[in-house]
Amino acid sequence: MAKNEITHVYLNGRDIGTVEDPVKFVNEIRGARRAGVISGEINVALYAKQHFININSDRGRVRKPYVIIENSKSKLTPDLIEKLNSKEINFNYLFRNGIVEYLDAEEEENALVAFKEKDITEKHTHLEVDIASIFGFTVATSPYAEHNSIARHAMLANFIKQAQGLYAINFNQRFDSRAYLLFYPQVPIVNTVPYRKTNIQKHPSGQNLVVALSTYYGYNMQDAVVLNRAAVERGVGRSLFYKTYSDEERRYPGGQRDRLKVPPPTAEGYMGEHFYSKLSDDGIIEPEMDVEEGDVLIGKVSPPRFLEESMGPSGIEEKVRDDSTVLKTGETGIVDSVMITESPGATKLVKIRVRGLRIPENGDKFASRHGQKGVTSLIVPPEDMPFTESGVIPDLLLNPHSVPSRMTFGHLLEELAGKAGAVSGRTIDGTAFAEDGVDRMSEYGRMLEEKGFDKYGEEEMYDGITGMKFKAKVFTGVVYYNRLYHMVSNKMQVRSRGKVQILTHQPTEGKARQGALRFGEMERDTLIGYGASLLLKERLLDQSDKTTVLVCKQCGNIGYYDHIKRANICPIDKGSDFVEVEMSYAFKVLLDEIKSLHIMPRMKITE
Amino acid sequence: MAKEDKNRFLVQYGEAVGTIAAQSLGEPGTQMILRTFHYAGVESTMSTSGLPRIVELVDAKKKPTTPITYIYLDKDIAKSFEKADEMIRKISEVTMSSVVRRVDENFAKGKIRLILSSQEIEAARITPKSVASKISKDFGFETKVDGRIIEIKIGTRDPKKVRSERVRIMNSVISGIDGAGKVTLRQDDKTKEFYLVAAGSDIESLIDIQGVDSTRIITNDVFAIYRLFGVEAARNSIVSELAKTLDEQRIGVSRRHLSLIADAMTARGNIKGVGRHGLSGEKGSVLARAAYEETIKHLVHAAVYGEIDHMNGVTENVLIGKQVPVGTGTVKLAIRKEDLSRTAKKK
Repeated sequence: MAKNEITHVYLNGRDIGTVEDPVKFVNEIRGARRAGVISGEINVALYAKQHFININSDRGRVRKPYVIIENSKSKLTPDLIEKLNSKEINFNYLFRNGIVEYLDAEEEENALVAFKEKDITEKHTHLEVDIASIFGFTVATSPYAEHNSIARHAMLANFIKQAQGLYAINFNQRFDSRAYLLFYPQVPIVNTVPYRKTNIQKHPSGQNLVVALSTYYGYNMQDAVVLNRAAVERGVGRSLFYKTYSDEERRYPGGQRDRLKVPPPTAEGYMGEHFYSKLSDDGIIEPEMDVEEGDVLIGKVSPPRFLEESMGPSGIEEKVRDDSTVLKTGETGIVDSVMITESPGATKLVKIRVRGLRIPENGDKFASRHGQKGVTSLIVPPEDMPFTESGVIPDLLLNPHSVPSRMTFGHLLEELAGKAGAVSGRTIDGTAFAEDGVDRMSEYGRMLEEKGFDKYGEEEMYDGITGMKFKAKVFTGVVYYNRLYHMVSNKMQVRSRGKVQILTHQPTEGKARQGALRFGEMERDTLIGYGASLLLKERLLDQSDKTTVLVCKQCGNIGYYDHIKRANICPIDKGSDFVEVEMSYAFKVLLDEIKSLHIMPRMKITE
Repeated sequence: MAKEDKNRFLVQYGEAVGTIAAQSLGEPGTQMILRTFHYAGVESTMSTSGLPRIVELVDAKKKPTTPITYIYLDKDIAKSFEKADEMIRKISEVTMSSVVRRVDENFAKGKIRLILSSQEIEAARITPKSVASKISKDFGFETKVDGRIIEIKIGTRDPKKVRSERVRIMNSVISGIDGAGKVTLRQDDKTKEFYLVAAGSDIESLIDIQGVDSTRIITNDVFAIYRLFGVEAARNSIVSELAKTLDEQRIGVSRRHLSLIADAMTARGNIKGVGRHGLSGEKGSVLARAAYEETIKHLVHAAVYGEIDHMNGVTENVLIGKQVPVGTGTVKLAIRKEDLSRTAKKK
């Protein structure tokens, strides 16, 4: 292509003209931005090969601050850093005075960013404010992030969001629809600068556990973890689960309204006296009441669904329907708090917070800050746990096979650092890229040796059951573990027989409806492929929506049994010759729907 | 012993071969999405592979996304590099636009000036003179050659006409076979034989060219094979193309499954895809068709024409809740009355 190609300029995606010297043009804009002549929110990106320039000033761009480099020198001079430290100036001063600027994703493509000041060459245009700022917040709070693989970062970013902890100080005043609260949250022994500089330190979401990288009789296969019962009883992972139920007195057109009260036995759908026994006179449950599934929390009566039913048989008493709020199936707890207030629609609004204790049990999920998650598979009595020569019993046993293939070296480093910090009684900084020539690992080793521990963090261990010494030393240390909010007690569900849907007569779906698991199309295909025709019929018919219909032999239409005439009747030809046919109720519904379209499907029955 | 073995491998009566074939091809398909291989190489030799290619074959697409033809040559030509290279010039499709570097229209004089790219014309093994004579032969225009520049006299000053002639000239094929695509030369590693790879699939015209071994011309265009050789050849082509695509990804699927799918696609004497417009859309049962796609269309058709569903297939029997006629559902227990009384007498 020719050199004097014309470069198009786009402002927020709109073509606004052309320039002849794109580099000069772009530099002019950037210079004006740094000088404060135009807004600092403007970003300009030059696409030299494609011959166009994008100027962006619209909203929604992700931008990141960088220190500007001029003449191979950082504009953030030691003099300015000193002023910053003495709080003489602040970050905004740097931004206003063209020392720091924000780049968006497009302009970043034109920049060459140096990680550290000593890396600067004449080609560099910007300097990273801090190397750790290449990470997002969640990854920045995880120690030794530079030692972990990127896939694990993606996972840990999710796990940290799922951790139980002290999510808010005013949890007692809040009525969150679901909330999890850890009993004894701890600040991690190994933490990072971003962790300390943010408020997250005041809302910790995990605990420092003594972890041994050891198998335990096959119980921690794959990603399972084994917990020490004594540790659990001391409070490891112990948490509260809050759930809020609410209801209000709605008003309906026609002057009718709901009433919060103990429903009278005459109400439609009355469940039985003992379900309402925990309600006080106003129809609302009292705080600190033990509740279990099926218990009514808020008693409420509503007007009937259809107007003509609203009068009772005598015409005096108003007929009502029970519309109480019931504790969901599979849940137990204690009523924590009751709030009675008014909704924005000026109706009476009741919120009831139920609290339940969640002690770690088999099936609960734990994760470290390195994307290493695991499900509890066994809670071992402390006397059966392996122990070290000094008598330390680990809180958690992690399978050593979970480390090499995932390349989470940060986990091991944290374990060593955590141990060093624990024995010397101080926290340790694990900020990513903070090493800078210092061999952190041998520093931790030195700290451990000072206190008489092995510098590699290894310990001689004994099997708690046999008392035999393990042949190999076991790597033991302290790792910060999060208890994630996926807990079996909130997910477990069983069903052998149960409710069916009204329309299709097929089993319901979903935990909330006591549902069954779907035997879907692909599952159906496996049975067909195997040739198990009777098993398939049992699953899809006998255990689902089997129904028996009378089919008229003459017209092929569905007949019925008339209880008054005590005879089978075909509504079309009034005949009486019928065959009883087993079919799926869903198919009967299909036939009914086709009939509703004035199309007559006929069944020819041969013996 | 051998007979026993043979019987052991026979498919049992009532085996759901179609479902098993579908599962055997479908399951590896889920893995293929995750890992698509890319080979570095010449653009023209890159063919569609992996799941997109499988979908293309099974859906019976009329033209493959990347048609490729392997052309083997007669023995005497195949051994000589020069002669094989000469064949490229004969076959390789070169359009005017691919060799022209710049076009100028002179509306005042009614002339078009083409400047050829020396690189491109060398690669296509043509000269400016041959290009010019091709133009005058095909379009009947007067031409003048000056180095790499060709001047064409259109003979009219109407700008519209000049412009339309320019488009026609630029799109014209100046050398080789129209539809053969770009041709490259390859050498077989084992036999040291030279052969050609064309990025087109016009085997109808390629097969008649002097020097081409008409018994060894292979294309990935199933429909081109169907048109030239018939449905049996097309069936074999489907099987081998499926197998080739799966082998590339090192996925082991038994050839029996593939040939069953190909059989089903070609059983009616033409090539049908497996989807809505093919096998599934032509099922005998109304309910089976309605259960797949376009439910209303099939139910309305059944109502208007009074279709009868004989309940012989699998889907329709699952739907109504009858035992399906596969596997254990294919056999029925039958007892004759006489036999019953005979056993009773014995007691």
